[in-house]
This record gives sequence, structure tokens and C-alpha cells, in this order.
Amino acid sequence: MVKQLFPIKHVMGYLLSLILTFIALSVAYYDLSYATGMGILSITAIIQASVQLFLFMHVGESSDKHAVYINIIYAIFVALIIVFGTLFTMIWGHAGH
Amino acid sequence: MKVDTSLPLEYSTEENRLKIFGFWLFLGAEIALFSMLFGTYFTLLNGTGNGPTAQEIFELKPVIVETLVLLTSSFTCGLAVHSMRLNFKKPMMTFFIITMCLGLVFLGVEILEFVTYIGEGATMQTSGFLSSLFMLLGTHGAHVTFGLFWGLCILIQVVREGFTARTANKFFIYSLYWHFLDVVWIFIFSFVYLKGMI
Amino acid sequence: MKWDEFFVTGDPLIYGAMVSIVVVSLAILITLAVTKRFGWLWNEWLTTVDHKRIGIMYILAALLMLFRGGVDALMMRLQLATPDMTFLASQHYNEVFSTHGTIMILFMAMPFVLGMMNIVVPLQIGARDVAFPVLNAISFWLFFAGAMLFNLSFIIGGSPDAGWSAYFPLASNEFSASVGHNYYSIALQLSGLGTLMTGINFIVTIIKMRAPGMKLWKMPMFTWATLITCIIILFAFPAFTVALAQMMFDRLFGTQFFSMSNGGMDMLWANNFWIWGHPEVYIVILPAFGIFSDVISTFARRNIYGYKSMVFSMFAISILSFLVWAHHFYTMGHSAAVNNVFSIATMAIAVPTGIKIFNWLFTLYKGKIVFPTAMLYSLAFIPIFTIGGVTGVMLAMASADYQYHNTMFLVAHFHYVLIPGTVFGMLAGVYYWFPKIFGFRLNEKIGKISFWLIAIFFNVTFLPLFYLGLDGMARRMYTYSEATGYGPLNLVSSIGAIFLATGFALIFYNVIYSMLKSPRDLHADPWDGRTLEWSIPSPAPFYNFAVTPTVQSEEPLWDYKKKGIPIYRDKIKPIHMPSNSGKPVIMGVLFFLWGFCMVFSWWIPSIIFGAAVFIVMATRSFERDDGYHVPVDEVIATENMLRGENQ
Repeated sequence: MVKQLFPIKHVMGYLLSLILTFIALSVAYYDLSYATGMGILSITAIIQASVQLFLFMHVGESSDKHAVYINIIYAIFVALIIVFGTLFTMIWGHAGH
Repeated sequence: MKVDTSLPLEYSTEENRLKIFGFWLFLGAEIALFSMLFGTYFTLLNGTGNGPTAQEIFELKPVIVETLVLLTSSFTCGLAVHSMRLNFKKPMMTFFIITMCLGLVFLGVEILEFVTYIGEGATMQTSGFLSSLFMLLGTHGAHVTFGLFWGLCILIQVVREGFTARTANKFFIYSLYWHFLDVVWIFIFSFVYLKGMI
Repeated sequence: MKWDEFFVTGDPLIYGAMVSIVVVSLAILITLAVTKRFGWLWNEWLTTVDHKRIGIMYILAALLMLFRGGVDALMMRLQLATPDMTFLASQHYNEVFSTHGTIMILFMAMPFVLGMMNIVVPLQIGARDVAFPVLNAISFWLFFAGAMLFNLSFIIGGSPDAGWSAYFPLASNEFSASVGHNYYSIALQLSGLGTLMTGINFIVTIIKMRAPGMKLWKMPMFTWATLITCIIILFAFPAFTVALAQMMFDRLFGTQFFSMSNGGMDMLWANNFWIWGHPEVYIVILPAFGIFSDVISTFARRNIYGYKSMVFSMFAISILSFLVWAHHFYTMGHSAAVNNVFSIATMAIAVPTGIKIFNWLFTLYKGKIVFPTAMLYSLAFIPIFTIGGVTGVMLAMASADYQYHNTMFLVAHFHYVLIPGTVFGMLAGVYYWFPKIFGFRLNEKIGKISFWLIAIFFNVTFLPLFYLGLDGMARRMYTYSEATGYGPLNLVSSIGAIFLATGFALIFYNVIYSMLKSPRDLHADPWDGRTLEWSIPSPAPFYNFAVTPTVQSEEPLWDYKKKGIPIYRDKIKPIHMPSNSGKPVIMGVLFFLWGFCMVFSWWIPSIIFGAAVFIVMATRSFERDDGYHVPVDEVIATENMLRGENQ
């Protein structure tokens, strides 16, 4: 019963996300350079999001998985454009002055 | 209604499949929505005016609690879907109720965090930075709050009707929503709180 | 708040508008009461989930708003007709141009586009309705609530007055003290949410509900355009939601997003607004491109040239549309590097657009062209739109833009894009699909007269503005002195505007005239069409297709007519249809009331109405409604009745 209720994949996913959380937390406790810290945070965040997406949200299981993938990729593209484009336009773009 | 028994219950009718696909699209829109909030936050990060900076107000403890609580609730939500697919009604409802309780705890801690900030004089009106911080966190919190009410509606329907194509579909879509909120929180945790502490 | 602060007072024009609103509302109510039509209105229209009726309501609302926005335009042209005119005071002029822009884009072009999608897309793909019919009705009523709320502003509380783009700090409480921009942020928020849901609805409809055999690459061009438009809607409208929420919080709750002090950033509004605003331009233009493609291919009697390149160029436009927003504020003062990036991205859009122009021209080449009104609009579109496009490339050059920025040149440019693009496209669509919905055509003679008036006087109205802009006439000036020398060209433009308005008035006349006089021409295929919608009776029955069609190419009806490939192979079976629902319209009313209370910061009623919205949503969650089945006998009877008279 317990085995059925707690499938190994889900448990491993949960443990992985806990570990990733603690790795991410390390940037607050160790004296890291900004670039290293951001690198760690980006990698852990992306892996964590993927764990949720593939393991818990079953993104690839429906018959429309191609459309769903395109949707998510397009959304991520737009999100990156919005975040970095806004920073580029409003903050970084002024560096030359 | 045509029911396809080879698929999990939540995918079994055409209407169900339309709804799941439609909800994925909605999540795509949510990604764009949160990216706007993040973009504004990063832009106004140094716009602290006379108010406190990120380093001055952020406290790690409540944030770690929030993170662990939300991660665990996402895990139990996944387990609830798994139980539903095995047609275990009681375990599913147990996991579902645990999920919502954890959501409530998350919300409580977040509200306490907000109260602390406001007590320190860091309100939404203080500076551009704090406006954008409160709107980002508040939008996520509002989503969690909505999720709790929505979850309650679904829970009542599962209790009443058991697993049908309709209730299973509703709960599966709810689980997508809940996991998505966890994803958003991971980004808030990493790029709002931890980034401010590097 | 005293009543004279609540209502807008002191302007005879607005008193006149108030009286006419009351008179018209009373007249409608009395007519409904006398003819005992309240039940009909509720059962047949307000609670409908039929995509065709929702589409008709969208287009009626769009025409109403076209009238409102058109009156605004005429008032502006009258004010600018001669130097030192005193028809409008400066504040009133500000309000007029702000509402003209907002209404024309969000409450005229958008519902027109959405209405066309609603009416045509399910018919083109062989579907019985959209994927989520009730959600579709909610979208409409959200839009309508937003539109009504926005229009209320000019008699209650005061209109927004900082331009349709509502730049901060001008739109902040400090410089726009009236509630006008509260209306702006809340009304646009409501209709924007409706649009977002429509976007999701149509993507699902098109991806999942096509007739058997209709692969993606066999969809009609308008359906493709709708799909790509909805993808842009899906990712652009959330940006608008956030920008408007930030504006609302700044104005109502004192946040500091766009303030000048306390770490806010006023130009961040411009940035956030245009992240949505530029894709929005393509949201209103791509469906028009789709309509032109279908109309040109039908009336040139040829299949569309370069089908795949048409689709790929629309995809390219959809992606590029997210990469160009900063070209709206080149002069903000960011570095040359930023301007370069956005300048190049902007010019790149000319490439896919150019491909489409050439495809239309090649479709016409060696075609056997006929010239009904719909085709005339499509043909006029090509050269006029090209002028708009070419001036767009001029504006795209950042360094040159310092000269054109915020001048009449820009005004001329976007009217040259949006009127031949969106408006001509929608009018072509109305003339083209009208018989499919109503069972009779609009009068061609009146249609052609109004076409020529519009096509000619559009140029008379807007061409002079290019020269005025190059001479340095800024946009949004409420008057100018004689010494500027702007007088003669402005007068030409204003005279053109009168004839242009006459052309539009003739369209309204044509609808009424044709309703009374036009022969009831129930032929399924009045234009010798090529796609599925022309294979069902006119007017289209409420269930659309008696039998699910089977499709083998992008032009199934043409194949049937030329090669005899059958479309309908099955027997008639009972048809599953969604039931009507009163919840969407109730939600629309509640959202309207919520918005109105928010505008005036009446917190307690707004909380009550907001909670009521959620309660309706919760009741919807508990609702059990599987729709109903139309029995075979009724389908056969309806088909015979609709087809009987002409066969």
C-alpha cells in the first residue's frame, strides 16, 4: 500500500527538489561572487522547474504534447524577452551615458 | 458522451482533453504575466528612494519555511493525482487536504512576513522597489488564496460524486495550477530573496 | 462627493450627449416593452452561447463604438480645420483624442476582429461551436462591460485625458486629477481579460476541433491568421494586465511604480504598455490579412499563391512583434545600442509583410478577377497599406525618428496602416460573410459608392498629415496659429474627413436598406467560394453542420465543385449542443458594477460586487450541464427549410 501511494519517482523528485533548495540556499551563506551565485541559482531554479513540469505536471503525457511544448517554449521565449528586454531598455541601455 | 477507457479518467472525454489543453495555454499566459512582474521588480530593484533596501528587510527564516511548505504541498498534490489514478478515494482526499492545509500555512507565513515588513515601515507606498516587491509576492499569494477556495469547491465535489470524468478532470487541472504556483515560487525564492543575499 | 462633481458639467456638447443617451435608452426600453421582446432578448441573445450570435453582438458593439470614435474624430478635425479655432477647449480636446484612440483600438478594432473570428472560424474548420462556448460568452460580456464602463466616463466623472497610451507622469493623480484614468485602467482591464480568454478559446478550437482530414496545413488562411493572432493575444495580453494593474495601484492605492520620486520610474509605464502595445498592432492586423487572403483568392478565382510562405510570414510577424516595442520611445534617451537593436528588429518586420503583399499580387496575376465590394476593399488595401508600411520603415530608423516622433507624420502613418489594414479588412469581411449569417447580401451599389468615398477621402484626409508632420506639426496640439502655415493642409484634411464620415454613414444606411429591401437570397454559395463555410445553408443553422464534413485539401468546396470530391459522407446523427447560460451576462453586470465602484474608490460596494463575481464562478463550478441533443428529425427539417427555397 505504502509503495503504491508513494511511487518512487515522486519521492525521488521531492528529495531532489529539497536538495536543490539547499544548494540554492548556500549562496546566502557562502561568500560567492555575484556571477557564481547567479549561476548556481539559475541552474537550480531551472532544474527545479523541470522537476515540477515533467514529473508532477506530466507535461508529455497528453495527445497534444507537441502543442503544449510549443506553448511552453513560446511562453519562456516571451518571458525572457520581457525580463531581459525591459532591463536592457530601462537599465543597461543607459550604461553608455 | 464518448468515454475512452484506455486513458486516465481525467482525459477520458473530448471535453476533458479540451479543458486540459486550454489550461496549459492559460499557464503559458501566466508565465508571461509573472515575467512582467519579475521584469518590473528587477528594473525597480534599486529604486528604493528613502525606503529600506532588499538587504535590509529580507529575512531568510520565514522564506525557507514558505519554500519547504510549498514544495511539500506540491509533492502531496502530485501524490493525490497518483492516488486518483489508482482510484484510491480516501488517500487521494487525505493528500488533497494536506496540500490545502500546507497552502494555508504558506499563506499564513507570507502574511506574517508582510506584517513584519509593514511594521518596519516598508509598505507598498514607500518606494518603487517595495511596490514591485509587494505586487510580485501579492500576485503569487492571491493565486494561492484563489487556489484554496477553488480546491475547496473541488474537494466538496469529489466527496459528493467520487471520481468521475468531470471531477477527475477538475482535480487534474487544479494540480497543474498548484504545481505551477510552486514553479513561480521557486523563481521568487531564487531571484527575489536569494539573489538579494549573494 | 457632490452631484456636480459626479456628473460632468458645464459643456453643452456633453449635456446634449447625456440627453441623447437617456432618450435612446428609453426608446429601446419602450420598444422592447411595447413589442414584448424582453423574453426574446434574454433567451435568444443575452444568454446565448452560439458563436455566431456572440460574433454578431461583437460586431454590433464595434459599429456602435465606430460611431462614438468617429464622432470624436470629426470633433478633432473640426477643431483643427482652421487656425485658432475655439470649438473645443484644450482640456476637452485632450479628452477627445484620448478616448478616440482608446475606443478605436480596444473597443472598435478588437471586437470587430473578435467578432469576425467568432462568426467565421468554426464554420471554416467544420466545428459545431468553439471549444468553450460559455467561456466565449463570458469573454464577450467582459468586453462589453469594459466598453460600457469606459464610455460612461464622459458623462460621469470625466474622461481620460493623457492620450490613448496614457503616459506617466501625465496620467498620474498629480497631473490627471479626475477619475478618467481610473476608468481607463479598470475598463481596459476587464475587456483585456475577456480578450485573453477568447485567445485561449480559439487556439483550443483550432488545434483540437478541426474537421476530419483538415490537417494544419489545410486550414483556410483566415483560420491560420486567427490561430497566430490568438497566440500573440495569449502572450501579449498578460503584459497589459500587469501594466494596467500597476497603473491602477499607482492611482488608487498610492504605489510608486511610475512616480517621479521615491524610486519609481515614469518611463517604465511606456515600456510595460508597449510590450503589449506593439503586439496588439499585429493582433488587429493579422486577422485582416487573413480576410484579404480569403477574399482575394475567392474573387480572383485562384488558390492563394504561396500558401506556406503566407503562414511562415505570419509566424515570423508573431515572433518579431514581441521584439520591437521600444521603437515607440526612441527619444526617451537610452543609448544608441538599444535604439539600434529595436530599429533593426522593426525593419525586419517589413520582410514578412512584404512577402505577403507579393503573394496577394501573385494571386491576382492571371486570375479571373471579379469586383464585388469585398474585393474592392481588398484591392484598395494593397497600395494604401504599402504607403503605411513604407512610412513605418521610415519611422523605424531611430535617428530619423527624432524628427518624426510625435508629429502628425506618425499620426498619418498609423492611420495608413490601421484603416486600410484593419478597417478595410473587417469591412471586406462584413460584405463577404454577411449572406452566410443573415441570408441576404448587402446592397452592392450602395456598398460600392461608400467604398469609393472611403477609399478616396481616406487619402484626402490623411495624406496631408504626412506633410504637416514633416513641417513640424506636433500631434495632440489642440490648436495652432496662422503663422505656422498649417492652415491650408489641415483644412483639406478636415474636408476629407467629412466625406470619409459620409462613406461610413452609407455603410450604416446600407445595412438598414438591405435589411428592408435586399432579396432573400438563400443560396449557400453566393460568391462561388472555396472553403467549408460556403457548403452549408445561408443563413447558417445554429448547429452549423448537419453532418461532420471530411476534408482533403485547403479548398474542400472548390474540390467538390470541380472534381466532385464529396464533403459530407456520413448520415445525419443527433447533434450535441451546449445549453444557453445566464451566468456570463450576470458576471458581466457584476464586473461592470465592481469596476464602477473601484473607479470612485467606493471600497465596500466594490468588495461586495467582487465577491459576487467569485460566487457566480463557484456556482458555475458546481453546475451540471451536459448540453442537449438536437434530434435527427429537427436537423432534417431545418436543412430542408433553409435549402428548400433555392434548390
